[in-house]
Amino acid sequence: MDVTSLKIGDMRSMLDKKEISVSELTDAYLDRINAVDGKLESYITVTADAAKKAAEKAQEKINKGESSPLCGIPLAIKDNICTDGVKTTCASKMLENFIPPYNATVMDRLENEGIVMLGKTSMDEFAMGGSTQTSAFKKTKNPYDLERVPGGSSGGSAAAVGASLCAAAIGSDTGGSIRQPSSFCGVTGLKPTYGRVSRYGLVAFASSLDQIGPIAKSAADCAVILNAISGYDSHDGTSSRNDVPDFTAKIGQDVKGMKIALPKEFYADGIDDDVRTAVLKAADYYKSIGAELIDCSMPSLKYAVAAYYLISSAEASSNLSRYDGIKYGHRSEEGESFNELIANSRREGFGEEVKRRIMLGNYALSSGYYDAYYGKAMALKQKIREEYEQIFTCCDVILTPTAPTVAYGLHENISDPAKMYQADICTVTVNIASLPAISTTCGYDSNDMPIGMSIIGKKWDEATIIQAADAYEKNFVRQNAAI
Amino acid sequence: MSAYIPVIGLEVHAELLTKSKVFCTCSAEFGGGKNSRCCPVCSGMPGTLPVINQTAVEYAVKAGFAMGCDINKFSVFDRKNYFYPDLPKAYQISQLNLPLCINGTVPIEYEEDGVKKTKNIRINRIHLEEDAGKLIHDDLNGVSLADYNRCGVPLIEIVTEPDMSSAAEAKAFVEKVSLLLQYAGVCDCKMEQGSIRADVNVSIMKPTDTEFGTRTEMKNLNSIKAIGRAIDFEIYRQGKLLDMGQKVVQETRRFDDNRGETKAMRSKENAHDYRYFPEPDILQVNFTDEQLDAIKKSLPELPAQRIERYINSYGLSEGDAKILVNTKILSDFFDTAVGAYNNPKSICNFINGELMRRLNLGEIVLENLPFTAEQFAKLVEMGDTEKISKNDAKDVFREMSEKGGDPETIAKEKGLLITNDLGKVAEVIDKVLADNGKAVDQYKGGDMKVFGFIMGQCTKALKGVCTPKVIKEELEKKLKSL
Amino acid sequence: MDLDMVKYLSQLGKLSFTDEELVKMAGDMTDIIEIMDTIKEIDVTYEPIKDNHNVYLNDLRKDISTESSPTAKILQNAVNSEDAFVVPKVVE
Repeated sequence: MDVTSLKIGDMRSMLDKKEISVSELTDAYLDRINAVDGKLESYITVTADAAKKAAEKAQEKINKGESSPLCGIPLAIKDNICTDGVKTTCASKMLENFIPPYNATVMDRLENEGIVMLGKTSMDEFAMGGSTQTSAFKKTKNPYDLERVPGGSSGGSAAAVGASLCAAAIGSDTGGSIRQPSSFCGVTGLKPTYGRVSRYGLVAFASSLDQIGPIAKSAADCAVILNAISGYDSHDGTSSRNDVPDFTAKIGQDVKGMKIALPKEFYADGIDDDVRTAVLKAADYYKSIGAELIDCSMPSLKYAVAAYYLISSAEASSNLSRYDGIKYGHRSEEGESFNELIANSRREGFGEEVKRRIMLGNYALSSGYYDAYYGKAMALKQKIREEYEQIFTCCDVILTPTAPTVAYGLHENISDPAKMYQADICTVTVNIASLPAISTTCGYDSNDMPIGMSIIGKKWDEATIIQAADAYEKNFVRQNAAI
Repeated sequence: MSAYIPVIGLEVHAELLTKSKVFCTCSAEFGGGKNSRCCPVCSGMPGTLPVINQTAVEYAVKAGFAMGCDINKFSVFDRKNYFYPDLPKAYQISQLNLPLCINGTVPIEYEEDGVKKTKNIRINRIHLEEDAGKLIHDDLNGVSLADYNRCGVPLIEIVTEPDMSSAAEAKAFVEKVSLLLQYAGVCDCKMEQGSIRADVNVSIMKPTDTEFGTRTEMKNLNSIKAIGRAIDFEIYRQGKLLDMGQKVVQETRRFDDNRGETKAMRSKENAHDYRYFPEPDILQVNFTDEQLDAIKKSLPELPAQRIERYINSYGLSEGDAKILVNTKILSDFFDTAVGAYNNPKSICNFINGELMRRLNLGEIVLENLPFTAEQFAKLVEMGDTEKISKNDAKDVFREMSEKGGDPETIAKEKGLLITNDLGKVAEVIDKVLADNGKAVDQYKGGDMKVFGFIMGQCTKALKGVCTPKVIKEELEKKLKSL
Repeated sequence: MDLDMVKYLSQLGKLSFTDEELVKMAGDMTDIIEIMDTIKEIDVTYEPIKDNHNVYLNDLRKDISTESSPTAKILQNAVNSEDAFVVPKVVE
């Protein structure tokens, strides 16, 4: 039996019954990474030695009977989450050698649980992109087809899960960066409600939209991880003080009577037929097991991509200003004055997409343009949020495609930023409205590429979207990745 | 030079006396080894987040109440974006549209051409923000060294309307604001440590003009004197430009303290586009009426109330009351002294006389007196109750100023303590009368003038033992009985 | 978007570009702004109070100072000297 393909629940019982040791499990993943990741390129850094040590510590805990749901489970961490003493690059030349002097809160919590960190996964540079092809180091491939992209920005995390190079992974989602790669790589990814998980230590892209979440082989696995990382953090003033429920509580419950809304704009022209058909088929399946389907509308969806890019780029332009080569990060050899040094360092350290976002963000905020762009985008944010509130008055969850297409070829789209941006239409409103959403595989296209559907929940109601995704997964047979 | 009306507005920055910084838990204290009071948050490490300090917000609101401001019950923080090596995040967290405090008034008193004047200066707003770090210029190696200890120290910015029209008014305003902040207990206002500093905006206009002239801004002036000199120079410079038919350029100028001149700054881009936007990492702050009331109630006695108390309850003159209150540390000293010896007028007189004299001579400094207010009060009381002569009290005070110590002990050691020991008095009088038989005879013979001589002899012999009043009584008694 | 605007934005963001890069960036930005301009047709106004999360004064962090990081850790990713970050000379 290949233990690397197991779900966390199965691993847990094997570990606790001592049918396998944490070290054996860890080594199995490290071996597989050695064998496969040369082709897949999902990890930027593999922390094999530290993983082996962590495995021993976790084993001790298990032996002492102090096991916990994630104790000894090998996970991969997206390389924009700070790890004390371990390089955190954001897949940018700018942070090629950056060693954080502190741990992200999420890392602290996972380490307390006794996880084994296998390494740091690739991503689009500073999480800006949907293909992982803007990574300065590892341009990750899709485990179902190495000629295709894994999606992004958490492409490394999603591909590593899809290829069984970790039991599960941590990603971050600003406009779809967990859900879209999960969809492309045939795995399950959950973007929690904004404020559910501390952002402290997540290198900021767009602070009002960023959220850390799990990518795993099932909704149930996502729930276990979400249980571990959720909750108020005194280091993050935007983290919620709301009680954290047990996200596994509704797993296995049927969805009889659940009201599922389908906003028509999400099924319109821009969506590939294969994708639309697969998601609507999934909707029918839900109906067949007792859910109620509801038609609804989100009139402002057509403005969502613009609003998202204006807000996220504005915040990014500010968040990325700290990279000046002085305190950390790439420092140019050239530059007599502060201004020269900083401009050269940023010129050399940032990739093209990052520069475009900084330019766009500064445009949106600059005097004379603020009201027309940033101000309007913020108003639209409020409007979209209100439209969601309206829809949720008559349903429990909302069902949409996760992306307009399946994973595309490595060299498609990349050169046309404007076209790339449009592809985020299905995911960005969730971040704009601070909502939770989960993407799970609902079918495959004629090339056996996975198709993802997204289930969007009410604020703070992750448990119900996990329940809905789990109900579908129970009856769905996933095809293994080709790799 | 033709007659122009100067139009002056100020932005006063004051560091708040919180224990921790405004957005992280590093100490906000002044000083420390370079970069020793830093953490990932205040040094701008990737991934870190600001978490706002409740006390900093309260102090800003207190400052607002002290200056008669309205408080926004819903207040928003914003990012002000600019690159400078003392600002590690490359943005300063500040407030733009919804600051904590708005619409205040600060009354000032000042003297111009020998005439005492008063004026109300309107406060546009007070907002909370973070201080930047310090750059130490290493000329030898041609580099600068950045120290981030000061990064994130809470700062309020007090922005006035352009209500001032002379250096004297501006100086009086800064002095008054310093005083208010000290009484409110939110800033120590040590200009030499940079805990309070001002940006000055100056323009000039002709009396017939209906619009303000073009203004220039002088940043980071860190003494009252520099504020006055910079304004005077700028009024003079702008006047000369206009006289010659030239135009004033809107720009930021640096005041050179050595030359007493302002100069246009080269590098800091003059036309700043700060790209303010709401700080997404900090949620907006709300206040309930109860919370605001509680802050208002917690506000200590302010200068105006204290002056009133000194006049009404203590019977001090307005002049005396103001002298005391205008130096908070002196006023606090006075209050403590009055607490120990309830004779405000007497204590005030001793402060105005002897204490001021020693202060002016530079023999003592208020921040570090060698004696306590209680000891001072005791000395005043000893003088009042004739335990020591008024003249000797001055001597004892000199000793206290030099070496410190308890006035009674000093007086005892110096033999200045008046005991009014009547046995001893009788003994000495007897001896004096015995030694001066001739004079006594003259007195008995009706020559009253000789009393003065005998009295003098007794006083001399009884120095420090007895007050002249008692000597006189005892002597008269004795002479009568002879 | 014209070249002057691209140059201005690059100065705001402290990014330096070659002339060729500037031209390409102007082209990219023009395409991107075209998408952004879709929002011009809708009339909506941002209302800050609608974003209120009802955080009150008493919810804020209490004023307690804790130990700072070791200076060496703060400087571990920087060119440093005498416990400080080394910055090219700043012209005032």
